Amino acid sequence: MKKIYILIGITTLLLSCNKLSENPTGVIVKEQFFVTQADAVAGLTAVYGELVSDGSEQPLYGREINFLADMTTDDLSAGPSAINPNVRSLSAITYTATNDRVQVLWRQLYTGISRANVAIDQISKMSFDQTTRNRLVLEAKFLRALFYFDLVRFWGDVPLVLHDPTSTDLNSLKTNRSPAADVYKQIIADLTDAQSLPAAYTGADIGRATGGAAKTLLLKVYLTQKDWTNAVAKAKEIISGPYGYGLVANYGDLFAKATKNGKEHIFSAQLDANGGLGNSSTLMGAAFTGFGISVPADIPADSSVYKQFSGNDTRRAATFYTSLVNPSTGVTKVYPTFYFGKYVDRTVLLTSNQSSINFPILRYADVLLMYAEATNELNGATSEAYSGINQVRNRANTGDLTPGLSQAAFRDSLYAERRREFVQEAQRWFDLARTGKLVEAVSKVASKTNVSAKNYLFPIPQSEISLNPGLTQNPGYTN
Amino acid sequence: MEIYLHANNLSLFRDFKVFRRAAVFLLIFLPFASFGQANSASVINSKLYGKVVDASNKQPIPGVVVRIKGTTHAVATNADGEFNFVTGQKFPYTLLVSFVGYDKVELTVNGSPVQIELKPAVNLLTDVVVVGYGTQKKSDITGSISSVPKENLNQVSSSVDNLLRGSAPGVNVTQSSGQPGASASIRIRGGNSITGGNEPLYVIDGFPVYNDNASVSTGAGSGAGVNALSTINPSDIESIEILKDASATAIYGSRGANGVILITTKKGRKGTTDVSYGAYYGQQRITKTLPLLNAAQWASLRNDILASTGQAPSFTADQIAALGTGSDWQDAAFRHAPVQNHELSFSGGDERSRFAISGNYFSQDGIVINTNFKRYSLRANYERDISSKFKIGLNTTTSYSTTTGAASNNGSSGLSSPNLITSIITTSPVVPIKDASGNYNLVNPYTSVPSNPINDLLSVINKTNINRSLGNFYGEYTLIPGLKAKVSVGADLISTKQNYFAGPNTANGYAVVGIASVGNATVNTWLNENTLTYDKAFDNKHFINILAGYTTQRSTGEAVTAGSKNFVNSSTTYNSLQSGSQTSTPTSSSYSWALNSYLARINYSFEHKYNLTLSGRADGSSRFGAGNKWGYFPSAGFSWNAAQEDFIKNIKSISSLKVRLSAGETGNQEIGQYQSLATLSPVNYDFNSVLITGFAANRLSNPNLKWEKTKQYDAGIDVGLLDNRINLTLDAYYKKTNDLLLSIPIPLSTGYSTSLQNIGSVQNKGLELGINTENISGGAFTWKTSIVYALNRNKVLSLGATQTSFFPVVPSTTLGVLQPVNIKVGLPLGTFWGYQTAGIFQSVDEINSSPTLDTKANTKPGDRKYVDTNHDGVITAADKTNLGSSQPKFTGSFTNSFSYHRIDLLVFFQGSYGNKIYNALRQQLELTNLSSNAYASVADRWTPSNPTNDVTRAANSPVAQMSDRYIETGSYLRLKNVVLGYTFNGSLINKIRAKQLRIYVSAQNLATITKYKGYDPEVNSFEQNNTAQGIDFGAYPNYKTFIVGLNVTF
Repeated sequence: MKKIYILIGITTLLLSCNKLSENPTGVIVKEQFFVTQADAVAGLTAVYGELVSDGSEQPLYGREINFLADMTTDDLSAGPSAINPNVRSLSAITYTATNDRVQVLWRQLYTGISRANVAIDQISKMSFDQTTRNRLVLEAKFLRALFYFDLVRFWGDVPLVLHDPTSTDLNSLKTNRSPAADVYKQIIADLTDAQSLPAAYTGADIGRATGGAAKTLLLKVYLTQKDWTNAVAKAKEIISGPYGYGLVANYGDLFAKATKNGKEHIFSAQLDANGGLGNSSTLMGAAFTGFGISVPADIPADSSVYKQFSGNDTRRAATFYTSLVNPSTGVTKVYPTFYFGKYVDRTVLLTSNQSSINFPILRYADVLLMYAEATNELNGATSEAYSGINQVRNRANTGDLTPGLSQAAFRDSLYAERRREFVQEAQRWFDLARTGKLVEAVSKVASKTNVSAKNYLFPIPQSEISLNPGLTQNPGYTN
Repeated sequence: MEIYLHANNLSLFRDFKVFRRAAVFLLIFLPFASFGQANSASVINSKLYGKVVDASNKQPIPGVVVRIKGTTHAVATNADGEFNFVTGQKFPYTLLVSFVGYDKVELTVNGSPVQIELKPAVNLLTDVVVVGYGTQKKSDITGSISSVPKENLNQVSSSVDNLLRGSAPGVNVTQSSGQPGASASIRIRGGNSITGGNEPLYVIDGFPVYNDNASVSTGAGSGAGVNALSTINPSDIESIEILKDASATAIYGSRGANGVILITTKKGRKGTTDVSYGAYYGQQRITKTLPLLNAAQWASLRNDILASTGQAPSFTADQIAALGTGSDWQDAAFRHAPVQNHELSFSGGDERSRFAISGNYFSQDGIVINTNFKRYSLRANYERDISSKFKIGLNTTTSYSTTTGAASNNGSSGLSSPNLITSIITTSPVVPIKDASGNYNLVNPYTSVPSNPINDLLSVINKTNINRSLGNFYGEYTLIPGLKAKVSVGADLISTKQNYFAGPNTANGYAVVGIASVGNATVNTWLNENTLTYDKAFDNKHFINILAGYTTQRSTGEAVTAGSKNFVNSSTTYNSLQSGSQTSTPTSSSYSWALNSYLARINYSFEHKYNLTLSGRADGSSRFGAGNKWGYFPSAGFSWNAAQEDFIKNIKSISSLKVRLSAGETGNQEIGQYQSLATLSPVNYDFNSVLITGFAANRLSNPNLKWEKTKQYDAGIDVGLLDNRINLTLDAYYKKTNDLLLSIPIPLSTGYSTSLQNIGSVQNKGLELGINTENISGGAFTWKTSIVYALNRNKVLSLGATQTSFFPVVPSTTLGVLQPVNIKVGLPLGTFWGYQTAGIFQSVDEINSSPTLDTKANTKPGDRKYVDTNHDGVITAADKTNLGSSQPKFTGSFTNSFSYHRIDLLVFFQGSYGNKIYNALRQQLELTNLSSNAYASVADRWTPSNPTNDVTRAANSPVAQMSDRYIETGSYLRLKNVVLGYTFNGSLINKIRAKQLRIYVSAQNLATITKYKGYDPEVNSFEQNNTAQGIDFGAYPNYKTFIVGLNVTF
């Protein structure tokens, strides 16, 4: 009898009380973070991470931005094996406010902004080494400006969010559109601060935002705003600054793993197939899908994309391929037409999506061309303007531009040069939009005649308007 | 041996004493009976030999107490149901024969021998039923509890959840996939929660188990989820009770809101040892295949699509003519598949202990090639009376199950291949299945990755192996008469291993030259329950039963995955990850949760006429915000056995009548772990080819997260008419759930997609009716009917102050962007939302004079015409409207069982009415493109010469729109089960020394009446997801089964 009581007693005591507090061992909680300097660095790394990785979708730089900035232009079309109707409707310029790619890009840009906001607010409050702390905050400001610059160009007026929400109250989470001018003001303020970032990094810090990158992005902002005076001044700062920028001799080296982050690189989305990360973040390589297949997912919009290059233009061979060597068998496969090749890593052809080629966001050729453009707009086709474009042309082995062009003729030549230089680099739509040539250029492509003035802006994602009816839709799009 | 367990129950107590006394008497005197007979000097006035059999199947019943009325002289029947009286009484005299589970018989005997037939008790109100933490006399119950009929437990199924379909009113079962071992989604009285779990709580021999399929998923596998319940052998189950209202479920507090399913496994009975063997073998085949284009039709479609974009045709007329029907991929993928089950069990007991042990082997091949499910399980239940006051017991089951599933196929980029079933359907019929040399053809010029879905099915390894041990050990001690203390300790240990390998010739493995992954997950749950029960009767009028207890449960889960790719040689498959030249990022994770509870219940009955139940539970759960850990869940129930009132006793036709009322509050804690915290996830970046780890928050924290609470009111009536030949149960209920745990989408501009909040409320109200009748009984021919009917009306009452509707996240990129489901105040959960269609534009004039979705210039004759519901002249999202709900208007079943001599026949119909299904698969198959095959209807597409109003013109991947065209009625009536059995008679079974032998044939899903165009109206592609129910996006198809089987007991 006693034994039984003891037995019951022991069992009860042994198991009697489990603690109800949650102490997760498998996850880190926000409250435990931004304590050490390593936390600060990791918090900032997540902002960079948004450039190239996404939990459920393809990466921002390296795929999603190309859907809006290239697929909707006279450069790219969706190939027959691209069967996502949302991608096809971007290609055919029939996209609507419910287009999933438009929503994904919007989300990715705001996710990046949110992480930058957290990094800026949290790291500013921390107390480790002042120099490092300032640098990390400024890097985050550069990235926030980059994301907002994409947003304001694609959508115009957008919600301007600068801090992480402090409450989960729904009303406090709604933000209406701010005028584009206010967004630009914030971008310029962030970039102005970020100019004091280091001129260069070494080792595993290469790839971080530099002062030169901030200046170059600022130059692009001025150029987009047609602020030619500031643009020329900023370009001169970059060209004569302590950054050591220059054009690489061989254009193809810009798109090779071995020569990544060379002297022409100013800011790139860093992609690498090693370590597991790059596996999902190098989908530009998906354009190439192997040897058994007839047509990749992205194809040139029409033959003008190829024909704009002269036979001696060294950019043509780097931009396209018409044949590939199978690295494991040595057999050469010849294709009936030309396909995009900048991000096809020829050393790992059989394993597409494994390309370790960086995606250039800002590079020195762009600085030279922007300098030439701004100078031409400000002072006409001066020798300074010629100097910018001719450096780029000579590197491509296409010789000097015909001298003595009028301002308008120089402008046209420059626009044509930009198209040749930046195929598949998410520049085309921005160039066409800021120069007002979108409808004119894109409607020349037989399958893209749907383009109209409304396409100068993308529709605000429908799901976003459903959650916040205070958001207005861009003109020409219905809800 | 339930009888002994519940012997404390008052009404049985006297029977029990008699029985025990009789048994003791028997034990002492029976061995000497024949001896005594010959040598007795006492007066022998009569000898009576007799036999007691079951009236329904004529089987002998051992252990029946036979007493001579007015004396203490009693004997019990032996193993053959026989008894012998040697008595001083003279004929005639009256025998009293009683046995638990049978009606008492009082009969006058005039001489020997006599055969006594006992009728199984049909007075349902006198049964004992299992309730939470105990048992209760059915007459005293105040709550709404349904017992699952035995016939339902005899169906072929890999898991118990699939057996509940049509078994009880208010229990709605939807199979999510026909894959062997896959899960079903169960809703008891409608869904209460939008984001939290809606599945009921299972209590297996007292052990609470929430069937979370995530617990058997490591992340390394692929395709349909594996059902954690499939690890339990359904034939071990003795009974299933379904607790529906608050009076019954509040004792399970924070886990009771979705209903509770009590499962009791087979226990041993006192008497001889029974050895039973049961087996069946069957064939399964697909119920139907989808009509698709043949090769010639597809080639012509492809030409038309190319023409629509101004491109040259890819097939000449001669080529098209030569193509013929081409490849039938469905035919290649589906097969007739065998299923078999073998089970051997031993059960029995003596004066002090009872045991039941069983072993089971179940093997089911899927109707899709290279898919199957196998289970090996063992059960041992044991109980022993250490002393008259102290009893110990053990219930334990352990199983190993292995599932080979159809893997998802992410390799072929894009929409139309979310899984292998859809890749089978969408692969072009022009592409040959095998090449000229008889090998699987791997060249498909129409997709981005060369692949062959048949080859993928055969060569991709996608296996889940689960080891599960579930058991509890208990001791029960009678402190003073009526007061018992019970301590039980249990564990549920689940260990899952998943193996995956896709070789370089498969869609998933092609680009990466083979990909392998393995995963391991363990979930260990510990439970300690300590209860005190006190039973007392006063003046044989007042009966009380008090339960008080403390329980604590803790669960920890851990999972790891690892993988690699790029294999020089595929022969090692997943067994040598180091052979892959490139590793995938390994993952590991862990979680734990705890639940501490105090529970109490008081049952009070006055003369078994007026009954009152008060119960309550306090639950402390680790899952909630710091300030809201504890929740309190009270309930009250009242019932009145009106038939015992004199004014009803006089009405002969009414044999029982009971009125029940209950009210209470229950909760839901199924929101996963750590949801109130802002957790961080790794987000990495390669700085100059060096991988650096970063961290970012996934969500906003919500320290105010609290319990979701459901208030439920129930009124019921149980009526027995004409000697209980007609039994009827009717219930009406109203449930309102407040403080819904809702993962609501928040503006993406915050940087986050969703936030979990306590927002809004949902109501369910409904009616349930169960009718059981004995149409013909007593003779050689019997006929019984059972009807189950339930209707539930679900409505969202509020979604918080700031919104009246939102589009929940549908877990598919393709469908998610269509926002097919709208959660809107005033409408039921699962409301489909989209455009109404009005045929097809026939001319440019019609386009110019009608509102269009796209611009007039982009709209061409042959495009779909949508209805401008708000009459503003344009088609916008504002024109989208309610297209119906995935919730049925009513569900029901209709069962007839017949017996004629030794032949028995069961016919079980089951159906659902008024639910809608979003046939997303058909939508994808009508979105014509240059790569994939299309629905057969596309052959009759719009052309200028074929001005149909049905199928739109050929276009290259037109943009999908959510419209009523793909919302189909999901109503069906199904001949779910037919069983024809024969029980052999004495002479044959005597030869093989068996006690019983029955053979049967059975057919399941034999016929279905439905207008649904997909594979099967029982479909649910997103499984346990609450907000995306009723969507068919290419689930593993359902099948019909033909079975022959036998059961023999020795």
